[in-house]
Amino acid sequence: MNNLIPLLVVIPMGVAFAIPLAVRMNPRLGELLSILTALTLLVISLFLPSQEIIYHIGNWPTPDGIDLRVDGLSKLMLLIISGLALVVGIYSVGFIRQFTGHYRYYTLLMLMVTGMNGVVLSGDLFNLYIFVEIATIASYALVAFGGEHEDLEASFKYAVLGGLSSSVILIGIALVYGMTGTLNLTHLASRLDGHVLTPTLQFALALLFCGFGLKSALVPFHTWLPDAYPAAPAPISAILSGITSKAIGLYVLVRLLFNVFGITDDLLLLLRWSGGITMVVGALLALGQWNIKRLFAYSSVSQVGLIVLAFGFGTTAGIVGAIFHLVNHAVFKPLLFLNSGAIEIAAGTRDLRKMHGLRSTIPVTATTHMVGSLSIAGIPPFNGFWSKLIIVVAAVNAGFMGWASLVVLMSIVTLAYQLKVQTAAFFGSNTRSPEVTPSIATGSRSNAEPLFMAVPMIILAIGCGALSLLTLTGLDEPFFVASAAEVLMKGVFTW
Amino acid sequence: MMLDPLVQMISIPFLAGLVCIGLPGQWEKARAWLSVTACAITLLNAVLVFGGETRTLELAGWPLLHVDQLSGLMLVAAAFFALLIAIYSLGYLQSIKRSPPDDADTGSRRIEEPSDDWQNRIYHACLLGSLAFSCIVFLANDLVLLLTAWGMLALTMYLMIGVAGQDAADASRKTFVMVGGSDSLLLLCTALLWVEHGSTRMDAGVLSLNSLPSYIAFLCLIAAVVAKVGAIPLHSWLPDFAEKAYAPVTAYLPASLDKLLGIYLLVRAFTGLFEMTDGVSALLMVIGAVTILGGGMMALVQQNLKRLLAYCAISQVGFIFLAIGTGTVAGLAAGLFHMLNHAICKCCLFLGAGVIEQKAGTVDLDRLGGLATRLPLTFAACLVAALSVSAIPPLNGFASKWMIYQSIIESGQDNGGMLWVVWLAVAMLGSALTMAVIVKLLHAVFLCKPSPTVRELKISRAPISAVVPMVLLAGLCVAFGVLVNEFPLRWFILPAVSEPVTFTGTWLAGQATILLLIAFLLGWLVYALTLRNGKLRKVPTFIGGESLDEARIPGVPAGAQRHVEVTGVDFYRTVQQLPVLKSLFVMARMKMFDIYSSAGRALARPIRVLQIAHNGLLSFYLIWFVLGLLAVVYLMMEGIR
Repeated sequence: MNNLIPLLVVIPMGVAFAIPLAVRMNPRLGELLSILTALTLLVISLFLPSQEIIYHIGNWPTPDGIDLRVDGLSKLMLLIISGLALVVGIYSVGFIRQFTGHYRYYTLLMLMVTGMNGVVLSGDLFNLYIFVEIATIASYALVAFGGEHEDLEASFKYAVLGGLSSSVILIGIALVYGMTGTLNLTHLASRLDGHVLTPTLQFALALLFCGFGLKSALVPFHTWLPDAYPAAPAPISAILSGITSKAIGLYVLVRLLFNVFGITDDLLLLLRWSGGITMVVGALLALGQWNIKRLFAYSSVSQVGLIVLAFGFGTTAGIVGAIFHLVNHAVFKPLLFLNSGAIEIAAGTRDLRKMHGLRSTIPVTATTHMVGSLSIAGIPPFNGFWSKLIIVVAAVNAGFMGWASLVVLMSIVTLAYQLKVQTAAFFGSNTRSPEVTPSIATGSRSNAEPLFMAVPMIILAIGCGALSLLTLTGLDEPFFVASAAEVLMKGVFTW
Repeated sequence: MMLDPLVQMISIPFLAGLVCIGLPGQWEKARAWLSVTACAITLLNAVLVFGGETRTLELAGWPLLHVDQLSGLMLVAAAFFALLIAIYSLGYLQSIKRSPPDDADTGSRRIEEPSDDWQNRIYHACLLGSLAFSCIVFLANDLVLLLTAWGMLALTMYLMIGVAGQDAADASRKTFVMVGGSDSLLLLCTALLWVEHGSTRMDAGVLSLNSLPSYIAFLCLIAAVVAKVGAIPLHSWLPDFAEKAYAPVTAYLPASLDKLLGIYLLVRAFTGLFEMTDGVSALLMVIGAVTILGGGMMALVQQNLKRLLAYCAISQVGFIFLAIGTGTVAGLAAGLFHMLNHAICKCCLFLGAGVIEQKAGTVDLDRLGGLATRLPLTFAACLVAALSVSAIPPLNGFASKWMIYQSIIESGQDNGGMLWVVWLAVAMLGSALTMAVIVKLLHAVFLCKPSPTVRELKISRAPISAVVPMVLLAGLCVAFGVLVNEFPLRWFILPAVSEPVTFTGTWLAGQATILLLIAFLLGWLVYALTLRNGKLRKVPTFIGGESLDEARIPGVPAGAQRHVEVTGVDFYRTVQQLPVLKSLFVMARMKMFDIYSSAGRALARPIRVLQIAHNGLLSFYLIWFVLGLLAVVYLMMEGIR
């Protein structure tokens, strides 16, 4: 079983380069290969064991060779990555037809999956950096995929800011290597364990924090996001917000802080404050936004803030809540972005003020969107409610009354901006004022909501309900994120 | 296998609701009858449970459900209202579909969207869903279960108002943000109690109010209750809801079920979750007093029947808060009784408003009138309910207000201090305000001469499915009033309170009714005799002691006072000119007291600042990055503390 671990990186990378060749035989092979790859990856990740495994490539022992490591947290991430890649792949079959050069799209998608899987599996900092770059560069290209003026501008901004963060990360890694003489995470952790960080290492950690903070869109490093997500095609926005920024940003940040450098009260305080500020800024900007995709983008910023805040509580309950919310966010935010794709086709606009009464045009989207927006707003019985509950209880339990109140207040704001989308897009009938939304009259159900787009949305909407059923098992060991949280709570890696 | 009646009560309406969604689009009759059947079975179950004993039901090893007399009472009431609304809906949605007479030229609100199958499905599913989730709330022995059901009730409410279509978009958003937002506050309260007790069971213990977390938990709970029942300051969704939603939806959710839910939670909070202190008592009474006066004042000046009723409902909630705020057993009984009575009356009035809206095509007060002869049964039912709301003996509204006054006096005698005089005065003034509002309503809708709009319409009789619930409710108003000690108090209220209650003042409803009837008879005799002798004096038209200024009534030539028709809309207009009230009314018109709008305005500025900061310039964003980096480096190197 363990020998399958490298396949998680090798297969998508191979497929990525095979697609341009395969489409010469049949143009539909690109879609087919990506979906099959995602399915394979999902199956492999499902069968990975939950306990910690370190896979030595070429059987070289730990500090000398390259390690891949799998534990509860990385398994969870792998599952989300491949699951979302599958859903997004299916959706793309229906959605990407409006663009040219499909095979490039699927190649880039597979490269992004390669990068994310690589980041999650990497056992050393340098390979981790390489995979971060693979995923990020693929995402620059995907953001620009529409080829319109604003797509290119967004991609350019994203590339500049992303490049800046990558260079900061690289400097940080270089400093760490210079000071400790190792890049292997386990080895590094054992060298740092029990020592107070030297000023150089503190500086390196600050650089890494900011670098990965930009990838995960923490305020004030979030500025690329409100341009990039709206510019990208809807399925790409879905995967970017659902998992990419989490896998190459937040995941690495948390790994480094909890498992390598060792978490301290100061770092927790930093996490709480950056998370809290991110949450508030994102939520307020979303509330003031009328562009549907930009609104969802700011909402992503806000949700990342909530996750980071919950990590910052530093207790088991907080981490369980954070990881659970991360999983939930990987279900409902892609759902919302996929919905926004269908809404945009049906309404012919992204401006919420110019659309209404889309329910009869896109009934499936109307229902799945209801589920998605209520989930994110934390309305029972959907999954967002449970993660919000866990996070608030964790906050109270750790004595952070102020943060608990803030989370609650922001969830009301979240509800307000989600309802803004709901009422604007779906209320009423589409018979009135056709001059405002000309495409409603012409847009038929079949091209706004073909089967390939409807099925992924339904799957994700069911996911929103199903994840909340999982909480019925209680929040202890059988709960599916418990093993992932345990990895972080165990503290630094031991060698 | 027979399921436990407690589980049945939850599962039958819930499953029936799911079936309603699943039934094919055209089976509207089937859906409507399914709703009626499911509600009837639930009512039957509720009566059985109410007659049964206090017990706790374990599900999957958790003591999830608990039933006692209080929850039994609430269950019976909720199922009863749901059944009536289901019966009323038999004819309601179909008649909307048949597109009632419309008058587009005057621009009044009409139900313009035909209800398609989706709306019909959602309507019935939510009607049943609300009942199922209310049953969960009343039965829950676990805070998280209660919280979940509470949130889902906000969801069904949002969906039900949405059935009314595009017009309702803003109102539904506001409602869901305020009521659904209150669920988040309840979540915080739950979290605090959970951490405090180490358990989410509702019988885990009483939390004494002595620390910051306990205060926050308590305030969150009160906020959730206040938002649910629509008391000031979280009332502002209710008038909008009532104006935009279909009348039976308003009659069902805000007028009856939400009151039951909110007051139930309030009572539970003081009988098992929190300690009742003097401060708490004062807080509740202040909320109650402000709500009574604010709601009453706003109701006085409304021009729209549904909004008027909504403000009147807000005002009545204040009485319940005042009663429960006394902290005495008598107050509790009075509050519960008034809650029940008010739900009965207001449900009836809103159902009447629904009939009026369908038949007359409008609920603007100045375009109604003269409906007493055209809709006699509706008029009779609404008259009884309206008189009951304004506490006319021997109806039930009087009985419960009488109990409230007594409980206030009693609490004053127990505690000393003179504050109780203030509460009593507010309650009395509030009753007078309600009375004034009801006079305006009755006059404008039923008694004055028909408006041109109404005159042009051919108004047919109300459908039997609408009349039956209204007459039943009106009958209950009379029965609960005349037989107050024998029927409602003995069978419903006193068991629910479960402690002996004594009232100082005696009110012999039976004898009083007979005396009242005799007085009426005498009065009628006097009137008939005088009329026969032709001794009738005619005077110029006047309103409430003020002579009518013809300039205030548009379209009436000067000097024609003798024949001026008073539409009732002008009643109490002078209230808005009084020195202090004038500025308050102006502020109310600017939505200063609407916390939803105020919060929106308060957030507008920070949002604007943030939007300006996000100007899309890359160089600007690079500066952000560098500043952020410097800050993090500084914090890391210097240590944060």
